[in-house]
Amino acid sequence: MKALQQIPRNALVWIIISMFTLVLPHIERIPPWVLAVYCVAALWRIMVYRGRWSFPRWPVKLGLIFAGFAGILLSFSTLVGLEPTVALLLTAFALKLLESAERKDAYVLLFLGYFVILTEFLFSQDLFIVLLSLLNVVIVTTGLVALHRPGDNRFRMRPMKQATLMVAQAAPLMLVLFFLFPRIGPLWTVPIKSQQAKTGMSEFMSPGDVSRLSRSGEVAFRVEFNGDIPARSQLYWRGLVMSRLQQGTWSALSFYEAPASERRQTEPERTGEPLRYSVILEPTQQRWLYALRYARSTDSGIMSSSDFRLFRPIVIEDDYLYQVRSWPEAAIETNLSAWRRKTELSLPATDNPRARALAAQFVEESSTPAEVVERVLRHFNAQPFVYTLQPPLLPERDAMDAFLFDTRRGFCEHYASSFVIMMRAAGIPARVVAGYQGGEVNPINRTVIVHQFDAHAWAEVWLEGEGWVRVDPTAAVAPERIELGLEEALAEEGSFLADSPLSPLRYRNIDIINTLRLRYDALTYRWQAWVVGFDQDRQFSLLQDFFGEFTARKFAAVLLGSWALVLIPVGLGLLLRRRTHELSTLDKHYLAFCRKLGKMGIERDFGETPQEFASRAQQALPRLAASIGDITKRYNTLAYAPPGANETELRDFIRTVRTIH
Amino acid sequence: MAPATGMSTVGRIRARLRRRFRAFITSRIPPSRVVTLNQKRIFIFPNRVGLFFGISLLVMLLAAINFQNNLSYGLTFLLTTLFIVAVLHTYSNLSGLTLRAVHAQPAFPGQQTEFELQLECSRRKEHVGIYLKWPSSNASTVNLVEVNQLRVQLHAPVGKARGWYSPGRLLVESTFPLGLLRCWSWIDLDLHALVYPKPIPSGELPGLATEQPDGAAIPIEGSDDFYGFRDYRHGDSLRQIYWKGLARGQSVQVKQYAAYADRSVWLDWDMFAGLGTEQRLSHLCYWALEFDKAGDEYGLRLPSMSIAPDIGERHLEQVLRALALYGDEEQ
Repeated sequence: MKALQQIPRNALVWIIISMFTLVLPHIERIPPWVLAVYCVAALWRIMVYRGRWSFPRWPVKLGLIFAGFAGILLSFSTLVGLEPTVALLLTAFALKLLESAERKDAYVLLFLGYFVILTEFLFSQDLFIVLLSLLNVVIVTTGLVALHRPGDNRFRMRPMKQATLMVAQAAPLMLVLFFLFPRIGPLWTVPIKSQQAKTGMSEFMSPGDVSRLSRSGEVAFRVEFNGDIPARSQLYWRGLVMSRLQQGTWSALSFYEAPASERRQTEPERTGEPLRYSVILEPTQQRWLYALRYARSTDSGIMSSSDFRLFRPIVIEDDYLYQVRSWPEAAIETNLSAWRRKTELSLPATDNPRARALAAQFVEESSTPAEVVERVLRHFNAQPFVYTLQPPLLPERDAMDAFLFDTRRGFCEHYASSFVIMMRAAGIPARVVAGYQGGEVNPINRTVIVHQFDAHAWAEVWLEGEGWVRVDPTAAVAPERIELGLEEALAEEGSFLADSPLSPLRYRNIDIINTLRLRYDALTYRWQAWVVGFDQDRQFSLLQDFFGEFTARKFAAVLLGSWALVLIPVGLGLLLRRRTHELSTLDKHYLAFCRKLGKMGIERDFGETPQEFASRAQQALPRLAASIGDITKRYNTLAYAPPGANETELRDFIRTVRTIH
Repeated sequence: MAPATGMSTVGRIRARLRRRFRAFITSRIPPSRVVTLNQKRIFIFPNRVGLFFGISLLVMLLAAINFQNNLSYGLTFLLTTLFIVAVLHTYSNLSGLTLRAVHAQPAFPGQQTEFELQLECSRRKEHVGIYLKWPSSNASTVNLVEVNQLRVQLHAPVGKARGWYSPGRLLVESTFPLGLLRCWSWIDLDLHALVYPKPIPSGELPGLATEQPDGAAIPIEGSDDFYGFRDYRHGDSLRQIYWKGLARGQSVQVKQYAAYADRSVWLDWDMFAGLGTEQRLSHLCYWALEFDKAGDEYGLRLPSMSIAPDIGERHLEQVLRALALYGDEEQ
């Protein structure tokens, strides 16, 4: 009874291995002391096993548990949320190891391990993470198998073979379940990833924000067009529309800041053929979505705002797939409401006097608003403005004056911001639009990869009869930014991804690295489109495509049928499986002896007895006649002796075989 | 068996269910000296660990639903199907295993008997972590990994009654490979241990019945004079072997003493007239052991049978067996 309940040594080794492979994907989000606890716990447990130390007594255990809680509270300043939960789980894993003496403790440990794997997916659904997690599933299962092989007292790979086999057999059944299991909405609200940094554009934009973002080579989103990909210069991915300027910072108006009558979007006339595309957005921890103008989406859970953006009421915490149709030629909001006009014209009363004066001068010199726009753009183009990722710091007050008249070095947000200020000063409704511009076309799967460094800010001005018109002042300064992308625009400066020397994007000129990067990206896209983005809608349409009207009866038939298809062969294979016939040491060496003679030209025939073979060989090789006779005699004796009886004679036999040359 | 008046309804139902189950098991797995486990004989069901695992899966599913996380769904389903695949693997670990009754050691009441059985893998596949236990015996966990057959000894106390002791059904159980499912069988290996009567000393042997089958000697009380050597016969006491001669390289010889040589005692049922059957058997048992210890020849005479005087281990076994099974129809 006792022996049954103990943890075999092999299982202990596997548990300790799993402990470290489980922590691997979490390493960036747990405090370093958890790792230290891990190492100490593993060392302690090994020392207990070797009989040097003893298991911690209960006051020590209690102390450790309290210390663990206190440590997590100190590190995260809360116990609620995903990261503290993960740290807690991992600490619990380490501490549980310290008191694992019996099989039942090991069960708790290993099941905890499965949970740790699950928590990893809540942070990342990256393909690489998934492969690592799959390996972790196999390792934890190996621990479970090793636990049930009593008497395995040294490290063995054998349980891993069994675990791998079982996971491999389970995988096809899992796929069936994955695609058939009905998806329902969340049952209750769950803790959000409190610590997760918001990525991408922020709700506020002050000079320097977009240029900071443009230092990152991370992917913001990927787009797949149904049909041709529009020209790069047309890819203005609108994310935020910033209508309010406060203390030099632009911000978007929230849904509820608009009066009720202004919340509804005025439906523009849809002219021309729409662009159809789907976007997979990397988690942003924000609510807005990116799309080309004028965008509509029929996906459930996507809303449109009165400034013609798409957004989601729920924060985007995971990769998010959505379908969009855009009419780039549609004129939006040709009739401007009084409130809207007032909002889009408002400007802090006394800021940036020189910019206002310049705007007033332009108004005087032109007859129409369109001409004013033209003049400002010409001003940017004619004056020595520089497009740079490293703009000089601007003063707090009248920052745009300092930019327009003194430094004249800036990134897109400087140009957009100063442009809109001048427009408003000139009495033309205008606003800043933040989002991404351009994107890299992946030739492998024809997706457009939009990186963080494609972040961009531009402007929209309202012109009578035309509605909101996009104006990109950056294009007036650095047209190559729009035509070719940031890297080309900054070629002289050499500041492109200067902070990430290891980013594969920096080595795009090396063919093989670039091909590998694009292949991996295509794979990631496929993965995200099929697995990560799989939801109720897609499940429904997939099942409809395959089975037509999907009834409960068909559901049961498909589930059971496909399972039977896998389980019956597996079951038959298991029940009819024979242990692979392993040669005994004796036979192995006898066959080696036969091979040696074979090389000398004497092959043993099929079905020839050792004795017959020996006499034939003796005649052919008189030089070896004595040893051939000796070996054959020894072989015959040993072959019929009870196994394990004649260890020394077996060794002698092997030695004699080795002497044959 | 009439239900006792004090027995509650629940108790009655339970007893009835147990009887039903026993009848079911007996019809399904009849007693046999060799049993190969197959689908008729193997039961499989999730155990407590499996239940715990199931609860864990439910929690994981809830997490997947609430976080709307497809990979969490995937992991939950992978583990669920792993559970299902484990049913086949757990079953396969026990199926094809052959158990063979080898031997049961006779014992005196209150002692432990040793049951020996042999495990064989008929299909040349592995059987890992096989747990074996009779209701009253100790447990043993064995692996049939690198061998094709294996002998296992289990020990169990035999109780107080003489005769055949049946250990009941042997539990053969395994949870390999994942421990989430318990796969088991209750088999009756038709293995019985012989329980001798409890030896109870009686003051002295009343009415010592002697007989001279060869018409030779009259017993000489108290004399143990050396008489001569004869060749060793199987069953001779080790104490009588002439070790010195053996050391000198002579053949194995046994020293014979006058008193032993001549004394030949009949242990007779009628010696203990007036006593109960069990008591008589206990006394006869005691004396048989005494005579064996002394190296005297003794015979046994029971109402139904008799065993001629002789000495040696095999003779003692025969006598004790006769005593143990006295009154047993099937002897």
